[in-house]
Amino acid sequence: MPKRRDILAIVLIVLPWTLLITVWHQSAIAPLLAIRKDDGVERRREAGGQAQDSKEYCASDKDIVEVVRTEYVYTRPPPWSDVLPTIHIITPTYSRPVQKAELTRLANTFLHVPNLHWILVEDSQRRTPLVTRLLRETGLNYTHLNVETPRNYKLRGDTRDPRIPRGTMQRNLALRWLRETFNANSSQAGIVYFADDDNTYSLELFEEMRSTRKVSVWPVAFVGGLRYESPKVNAAGKVYGWKTVFDPHRPFAIDMAGFAINLRLILFKPQAYFKLRGVKGGYQESSLLRELVTLNDLEPKAANCTKILVWHTRTEKPVLVNEGKKGFTDPNVEI
Amino acid sequence: MATRMKLKLKTVFVLYFMVSLMGLVYALMQLGQRCDCTEHDMPKDRTISRLRGELHRLQEQMRKSEATKQPQKQPLKPTPLPIIYVITPTYARLVQKAELTRLSQTFLHVPQLHWIVVEDSPHKTPLVTDLLVKSGLTYTHLHMPTAKDRKMQEGDPSWLKPRGVEQRNEGLRWLREDRRAQPGGDNQQGVVYFADDDNTYSLQIFEEMRNTMRVSVWPVGLVGGMKYERPVVEGGKVVRFHTGWRPSRPFPLDMAGFAVSLKLVLTNAEACFDGEAPMGFLESSFLQGLVTMDELEPKADNCSKVLVWHTRTEKPKMKREEALQAQGLGSDPAVEV
Repeated sequence: MPKRRDILAIVLIVLPWTLLITVWHQSAIAPLLAIRKDDGVERRREAGGQAQDSKEYCASDKDIVEVVRTEYVYTRPPPWSDVLPTIHIITPTYSRPVQKAELTRLANTFLHVPNLHWILVEDSQRRTPLVTRLLRETGLNYTHLNVETPRNYKLRGDTRDPRIPRGTMQRNLALRWLRETFNANSSQAGIVYFADDDNTYSLELFEEMRSTRKVSVWPVAFVGGLRYESPKVNAAGKVYGWKTVFDPHRPFAIDMAGFAINLRLILFKPQAYFKLRGVKGGYQESSLLRELVTLNDLEPKAANCTKILVWHTRTEKPVLVNEGKKGFTDPNVEI
Repeated sequence: MATRMKLKLKTVFVLYFMVSLMGLVYALMQLGQRCDCTEHDMPKDRTISRLRGELHRLQEQMRKSEATKQPQKQPLKPTPLPIIYVITPTYARLVQKAELTRLSQTFLHVPQLHWIVVEDSPHKTPLVTDLLVKSGLTYTHLHMPTAKDRKMQEGDPSWLKPRGVEQRNEGLRWLREDRRAQPGGDNQQGVVYFADDDNTYSLQIFEEMRNTMRVSVWPVGLVGGMKYERPVVEGGKVVRFHTGWRPSRPFPLDMAGFAVSLKLVLTNAEACFDGEAPMGFLESSFLQGLVTMDELEPKADNCSKVLVWHTRTEKPKMKREEALQAQGLGSDPAVEV
C-alpha cells in the first residue's frame, strides 16, 4: 500500500497553492500581474500628473501616511465659516491697572478661534475709551456693552468676600442682549461661554465646546483650592457627581469657566439668569444652570473630563508704591 | 502498458510541481518590489489625496493674499523679515503650562519668530516638550539648571535672587553657536528679545523691535513699583530714564524693555548676564558692554506708548489639595495641569 507516497504527493501538490493563496491575499500582486499586460503608456501619464501627491501621500498597504505639515497662516482673525457654530464669549471686565494687559492677551488667544463673537461687558457707567480702542484694534468680531454694579454690591477694596458675586450684572446683561438679538426660531447655531479676563484658555477648549447640544462641562485647573476640579463621569459617559472638596453637594459644583451652553437653550428659557441676591459663595453657577438643565443632560468633554484645557489663573495686583500720592508717571499714558 | 502510464503520471506530477514552484517564486519576487500606488483603484485614497492637494492650494492662496494685504508695512522687500529670537527662561511650577500656553498663543501671531525656551532643570521635561511640539511655533528647547546657591527657596521674595540668569546665558550661547554655522557670519539680520513667561506682550511690540540696529528700548508697564517705566526721549535720543527705583543705574530698564540686534550679540561673544550683579543691575550687566545710552534706539512712538506689561501670576492656593494629599486622596497626578 503506497500510502506514504500518496500522502507525500498530495502535500507537494497542495503546499505551493496554499502559499500562493496567502501571499495573494496580503498584497497587491493581483493588480500588478494584471497591469503588466495592458499598455503602460497611459498609466504612466496619469502617474506623472499625480506624482507629487503620490510621493507624499503614498498609500502603503493599509493606511495613509500622515506627511502634511500645516504652515501657520498669519490671518487674524480667521475667516468666518458658514458651517461652524458661533461661540459667543461673555467677559465681564472692570478698570484696574492690569485691565489692558489682560484684555490684550485674551484677544491674542481669541484671534486664533474661528467664528468667535466676543461680548465684553464693562463694569462702568460709560464705555471707556481704553476698551473701545482695544476692541477696535484687535479686529475681532465683538459687542461692547456696559452696566455699573451699584456700590453696595461691589467688592470693597481687597476683601475677597465670596458672598458678593462679581460680574453677575454684567453677565446677565450679556444674556439679555443675546435674547434680544437672536430669534429663538433662527437657525443660527451658537454656543455661549463665560470667560473671565484673567483665566488662561487653550485653543483646544473652543473646539471641544463647539459641539455642545445643551450644556457641556470639563475640568478647570486651580479652583477650589485644588490642582483641578472636575465632574465625575461614569462608564456610560454621564455626569453623576463632582470631584471637589468645597461643597461637592452643590447642584452644579463647577466654576464659571467649566461649562458652555448652547444658544438655543438660552433663548428657549428666557427667564434663566444668574441670581443676584442671596447667593451663597460658590452657588452662582448653579443659580443659572439649574434653570436650564439637569445633571443627566450634561455632556462631558475633554476626553471624558480627564484633560485640563482651561486654567483659573489670577494676576497679582501690581505694587504701585513708587507712584506716591500725587502720581509719578504721566496719567495720559495708557497702560 | 502500465509502466508507461505510470511514467506519464510521474512526469505530469513533476511538471506540475515545477510549474507551481516557479509561479510561487515569481510572485514572491514581485512582493519585494515597490508598491506602485497610483495604480490602486481605491477611490477613498484618491479622494483623500485630492482633498489634501486642495488644502495645500487653498493655504497657498491664503498666504499669497495675506502677503498682498500688508503692502504698506513691507514695501517691496526682497529679503525676508529679520527673525526675532525670543529667549524665555522657565521653571516647573503649577502655572507653568498655563503661562507657556498663553505665551505661545501670542507668539503664533508673529511671523518669523524663533522661540528659544530654556528650562531651569537638569533635563527636558515632557510637559514643555509636548507643549512646544503642539504649539506650531518654530522653537528650540534647551535646559540649564540654576546653581544651588542661586536657586530661590520656597519662602523667598521674588526680588531676593536674580532669576533666569543661567538660562538666558545658555540661550545666548546656543544662539551664537547656531548662527556662527550659518552663511553670512556676523552680518545676519535678527533681533534677540528676552521674554519672561509671565509677562504680557502686545503684537505691536514685535513689529517695533524688528528693525533694531543695535539696542532698541521702549516703556514697560506695571514695573518698578509704578504704572510704567520708560526711557525719556529728547530729539530722537534717550537722555535719561523715568523710573522710581534707583534711576542711577547704567540701564534702569526691565528685561522686557529692550531688544538687541543679532549682529551685536554675535560680535560681542562674551556679553552675558552677570548673576553676581547687585539687585536690579542684571540688565545693566548685559547692556553695559554692548551699547552707550545715546546709541539706544527709542521705539513705541518715542517711548510714549506701553506695549508690554510686567504682569505676575498669583500662586494658586493649594490648601485643600495639600490636605487631601496628606490623606492619600490627592488628585490624579497623571492628569497634567
